[in-house]
Amino acid sequence: MKQIYSLLLVWIVVSGLGKAWAQDRTLSGKITSSSDGTPLPGVNVVAKGSSKGSVSDVNGNYSLLAPAGTKTLVFSYIGFLTQEAPVSASSNAINVTMTEASQSLDEVIVSGLATSVKRSNAANAVTRISSDELVGKTRPVTLDAAMSGKIVGANIVQNSGAPGGGISVKLRGISSINGSSEPLYVIDGVFVNNSQFATGAGSGSFSGAGANQDQAPNRISDINPADIESMEILKGPSAAAIYGTRANAGVIIITTKKGKAGKTKVSFGQDVGFSSATKLLGYEGFSLDPIGPEGQTKFDYVFGNGTVGSGSKTEIDLWQKATAEGKLYDYEKYIYGNTGKITNTRLSISGGNDKTKFYMAAGLNDETGIQKGTGFQRKSIRLNVDHKLAKWVDFSIGSSYMQTGAQRSFSGNDNRGVSIGYTLAYTPNYAQLMPVNGVYPLSRYTGDSPVAIAERTINDELTNRFIQSFTSNIYFLQKPNSTLKLALQGGLDYVNTEAEVYFPEDLQSQLTRATPGASRYSKNRSFNTNLQAFLIYNWQLLGGKLDLTSQVGTVRLSTDNDFSWIQGDGLLPKQKNPNTGSVRTFSETWQTWQDVGLIAQQEANYQDKIIGTLGIRFDKSSLNGDNAKWYGFPRASLAVNLTKFGFWSYDPISQFKLRGAFGRTGGVPAYGNLFTSLGTTIIDGQLGSVTPTSVGNPTIEPETAQEVEWGVDLGLFKNRVSLEATYYDKKIFNLLNPYTLSSGTGVTQFNAYPVGDLQNRGVELGLNVTPVEMSNFTWTSSVQYWFNRSKITRLEIPNTTVGSGFSIYGRNQLRLGESPTRWYGSPNVPDAQGVAQATRYEDAQPKYQVSFSNQFKIFQSFDFGFLLHTSQGNHNSNLTTKQKDTGGTTKDWSQVDNLYGNVGLPNGRARLPANPNVTAREFIQDASYVRLREVSLYYTVPRTILGKAFANVVSNIRIGTSAQNLLTFTKYEGYDPEASNFGNQSVGASVDNAAFPNSKRIFFHIAVDF
Amino acid sequence: MKFSLKHTILLAGLAFAMPSCSFFEVEDTIDPNNPALESILTNASRIQINQMGIGIQSSFRNGQSNLVRVTGSIGREIYNLASTELTWTTELLGTTNGGFSATTLFNGYYSDFSQTRRRAEYFKLAAENSAPSALTDAEKQGIRGFSNTVSAYTMLCMLNMQYKNGIRIKYTDLYSPGDMLKPGPFVSYEDGLKEIRRLLDEGATQLAAGGTAFGFTMTSGYAGFNTPANFRKFNRALAARTAMYQQDWTGLLSTLGESFFDLNGALTTGPNFTYSTTSGDITNPQFQQLNTTASPVVAQALFISQAEVGDTRVTKKVTKRTSARALNGIIGEYDVSMYPLSTNPISIIRNEELILMYAEAMIQTGKLTDAVTALNKVRTGAGLKELATAKPAILNDKNALIDELLNQRRYSLFYEGHRWFDMRRYGRLAQLPNDQPNHKVYDQLIRPFAEIQWDAKNPQ
Repeated sequence: MKQIYSLLLVWIVVSGLGKAWAQDRTLSGKITSSSDGTPLPGVNVVAKGSSKGSVSDVNGNYSLLAPAGTKTLVFSYIGFLTQEAPVSASSNAINVTMTEASQSLDEVIVSGLATSVKRSNAANAVTRISSDELVGKTRPVTLDAAMSGKIVGANIVQNSGAPGGGISVKLRGISSINGSSEPLYVIDGVFVNNSQFATGAGSGSFSGAGANQDQAPNRISDINPADIESMEILKGPSAAAIYGTRANAGVIIITTKKGKAGKTKVSFGQDVGFSSATKLLGYEGFSLDPIGPEGQTKFDYVFGNGTVGSGSKTEIDLWQKATAEGKLYDYEKYIYGNTGKITNTRLSISGGNDKTKFYMAAGLNDETGIQKGTGFQRKSIRLNVDHKLAKWVDFSIGSSYMQTGAQRSFSGNDNRGVSIGYTLAYTPNYAQLMPVNGVYPLSRYTGDSPVAIAERTINDELTNRFIQSFTSNIYFLQKPNSTLKLALQGGLDYVNTEAEVYFPEDLQSQLTRATPGASRYSKNRSFNTNLQAFLIYNWQLLGGKLDLTSQVGTVRLSTDNDFSWIQGDGLLPKQKNPNTGSVRTFSETWQTWQDVGLIAQQEANYQDKIIGTLGIRFDKSSLNGDNAKWYGFPRASLAVNLTKFGFWSYDPISQFKLRGAFGRTGGVPAYGNLFTSLGTTIIDGQLGSVTPTSVGNPTIEPETAQEVEWGVDLGLFKNRVSLEATYYDKKIFNLLNPYTLSSGTGVTQFNAYPVGDLQNRGVELGLNVTPVEMSNFTWTSSVQYWFNRSKITRLEIPNTTVGSGFSIYGRNQLRLGESPTRWYGSPNVPDAQGVAQATRYEDAQPKYQVSFSNQFKIFQSFDFGFLLHTSQGNHNSNLTTKQKDTGGTTKDWSQVDNLYGNVGLPNGRARLPANPNVTAREFIQDASYVRLREVSLYYTVPRTILGKAFANVVSNIRIGTSAQNLLTFTKYEGYDPEASNFGNQSVGASVDNAAFPNSKRIFFHIAVDF
Repeated sequence: MKFSLKHTILLAGLAFAMPSCSFFEVEDTIDPNNPALESILTNASRIQINQMGIGIQSSFRNGQSNLVRVTGSIGREIYNLASTELTWTTELLGTTNGGFSATTLFNGYYSDFSQTRRRAEYFKLAAENSAPSALTDAEKQGIRGFSNTVSAYTMLCMLNMQYKNGIRIKYTDLYSPGDMLKPGPFVSYEDGLKEIRRLLDEGATQLAAGGTAFGFTMTSGYAGFNTPANFRKFNRALAARTAMYQQDWTGLLSTLGESFFDLNGALTTGPNFTYSTTSGDITNPQFQQLNTTASPVVAQALFISQAEVGDTRVTKKVTKRTSARALNGIIGEYDVSMYPLSTNPISIIRNEELILMYAEAMIQTGKLTDAVTALNKVRTGAGLKELATAKPAILNDKNALIDELLNQRRYSLFYEGHRWFDMRRYGRLAQLPNDQPNHKVYDQLIRPFAEIQWDAKNPQ
């Protein structure tokens, strides 16, 4: 019945179509861009004070039937400053040049699933990143890396320096404990997968798939940043409420580039770059110098029991022999000291006419890492087509295919005896590990040789992915004062990641196994679809003073996953196929779920003075305990533009907006949290079943987040200075977390249980200034400052360690009144009740972050820019120094600084946790940093020269050089202050344990447009 | 283009109408990958019961390797020189400030054993509520006796690790919902032992009524112990071991009498944990290749130097490394090599231990001659001369015989989870060696973090 009613409604509305209106005067002209003089098609032209409007054509020409008495025309175009032009009584021709604006108040930002609002009218602080800001300066390899330092309110951390990303993005603090706090990514309306698929790489010969230590890239790395036109970041529930149960961690909305009507434009770009480690830790060699209080040598400590003369004679002989023969090696430099090579090639062709527009782009990214054999490749192709079928129906199709490969080797925490960082820490410089005639000598010092690991093992993955989007608008009503349209949208995301991890049978660490040689081949396939339909009615009241937009709609999302692997152990010599293993294991996991949402929203705009929104979304999901229950997520917002009111007469303040927004979102339980299932086991060749040690929760409900956001936006001196200040208070209710039970019951936990509430509060300040604006020199500058504070405000369960970590070196705990990312470690101190509790240390979350971005345009041809970013007060649990101390390779090992009250003891011994005064304090380290994230210099060849040289075939040539992460200032002792051994998890992430070093990258660019 | 608005609206209407039945529906969620727990709680079939029985025998092995490594390290039998997990050579040996860390990884055995214990409870429950005619009454008794024996074994392991911390003896009422939120209080070491004895005795009675065969397959590790009557002998051996910790020497002797104790029998007789390389099974967790550099388990140096000359147990259990391995001030010259293959079984309890328990009870009850006879069985089995020849001075010296007994236990039961407890029973922990001045021998493990926090939040 519902359908029939809506059809009826549509019919009634349609019948009013087609009325013509009176014509008074025809105005026309040409609209061009001020930067390069090219004609601008698609510009909106409106006669001020009326609803009469027109759009410019392919050649930038427009003509408009304006009512008699029209004084002013208003020209507006996305990405350009809105401009007004006076209408003279004598001439009907009005030509305009429009100026581009990077952070324009007139730019449009998303306000609903199918509607948008002008930034100057927005009630939320929505960060928008343009394509130029994203990758226009330098070329971070992945999308998320490109966002670093550019989003006020975000905490973006690179998990490991290995090629191919692995980046965690947290908007306004963490929003879940158990799940990841990664935002939802929506590309052209398609809900895209950002998983990290398990490969088995993180645990001993791949036995524990699904581990969070696999350090796989997250799948947003498949997206080519060069295809992106803009990104909008809905940071909290107040902005993202309309996305319902998927939006607790915020939403990142990505719009890809579209074709523009006009001459077909061919753009070609080529980057060549080099990468090298930002920092190596260095090492100390060995000697027989007495360094201990009783004259002990380094050998006595590292290869003895610490008494004089106990040092292994064999080791001393090996050292003397290597020294005499000059065979001392810097293994760290050998492995991580290489120069990576980067090439990026882009080709795009775009154009069209007023009916059909297209954008076609192909990209090739190829880079090798700082470690031999590591690398990242991406091949992508995209076609976006927009077509206007009739005056009242249009559609767009976006198709893209990506193939991404990453070779990441083995680093990080060592559950398999092969992490390069670990093995390096234990390898003295006199070890002889270089291959001789292709044979890799065994290491005497640790489970495997770092050289053999780097050169003989495989940890590769290859992803094939299709993302397809479809949108269509059908206008049932197109009247001057009202429009009614049906906006349909659909999308699918098919991603298939094949991962291969392999240890040859004669690898040292394999020789000690019962079945040497291990190979695992995983196939992770995920298929996501989304369908939505919205009916949007735009109408006016009070004689056009009140602009209203009403929408109702529905959304359906579905996910279908299939994860499988086969592993062979005891491989035939030189064989990689798991099928050749003497022991073969395999696994197959299916997952499928669906969400359905119903949405209604009303927006009202009173003369751009007062803008309000009210909306509600109802969601149900098969992941919830009750899959038929609808959960409601309301939102409300209000923005008041004081300067638009008649009483405002103070000119220097060109914008003064007060805004407030409220919203709720949800977070669905993870797949499988409902189930209590039997496991299987084998003994004696017989299949047994075992009852589970963790139990499901059949009554589970979604986590909900509620946010109130207040803000002031100020524009001074015609918006040459603009300030955006935001305060938010985000509360997450019924956080789902495993409920750790008394372990004596034999059931370790409820897999998911509403354990309590979390509060995130923070401030975001953004200041954009154009200090100098002259014809030969323009300087634009922006400073952003933000911080977030988290606190558990309700806790139903006992204090629990959460996330991963290493006990005495610091773990995160859930405690009432404390941040869930705060570190706790040794020593244990009895509390008031006499219960031994770990000591409280600092938070892994930064105290504050600041980014400082500057752009200089000199003589119209040179563009220079840089982005400085600092994170202060964030702490990591860092185990790297401890590994190196134990192995005797720390740079200051033999130095005697009387650390921790250990008088006379060399630092390498004094720092070990074996000494009573050494507590978790040693490992929980300040990871504050200041980083020059981006610096770039470009030269655009002037048009006059181009015209002469290439006879106008070439319209634009730009050459430049840039660098990413060029300089880092930090006191942190590990490779890089950005580290997360356990991937994209919300808590327990900032653990640094023999991580892959981060790298700085330097590029040379050339771009040519035809 | 001939495309009218009417067509579009019709099309849009159709598009809405077609999937409308399914568009707003989401699927019912059932686990597509595994059977649900509920499937065995009521009306379990004989096949399901059989699979649960096999499942328990498989998970019965869990916790074993953590237990022997931890007790082996604290009892200074072995060191785990793991460069990838340094707490084995620091925290576990007593170096860390403030003792064990609150969330120490050395409590892994605790959840393993608790899980097996709970699984045994579920097994009993499934048998009680099994489908009509799936099991005979005798078979149900057999399952009760089997489950109680398994539970008691896991509790004894946990209790010895936790010692004065005690354990929870009542932790569940499986028949009432939400039981997991109501574990009982911790009881003292003594009360814990008492409960374990009671459970074993109950199990013995049930096994006696268990008929001729179990209602599920017994795996090959229980060869000779795979009928209710034979399994009862294993039950009685565990009761004797418990009596030993209770210092109930008469109880020890009477239970021993009902066990498979045989003064003249093979020392190796007894049930075993079995392992294989079959996909899905586990390999012997204590198996290691010799001379590895990653995480070799090496013998504490005194195990070799203090051995009597010619003791074949030393050569059977440790092997000299081609090159010593040093880590954190500990030098390992001998690899533990008790299990040459990854598929070798591990003994749960064997006649050798029963003979030593018999000897101990005899010493303690003053029957020194009988004790010497028993000790000689073990000595000659290890290639040593009888005490009358080797150590004639101690034949009538009770204290010296206790020293001898503990020494024989040290070599016979090396790296099987006894040494630390033996030295503790006799108040001799101070005699255990420390390789570094900052090492310290713990009396017991710390109570698991989850348990401490549970009780702090839910006071009894």
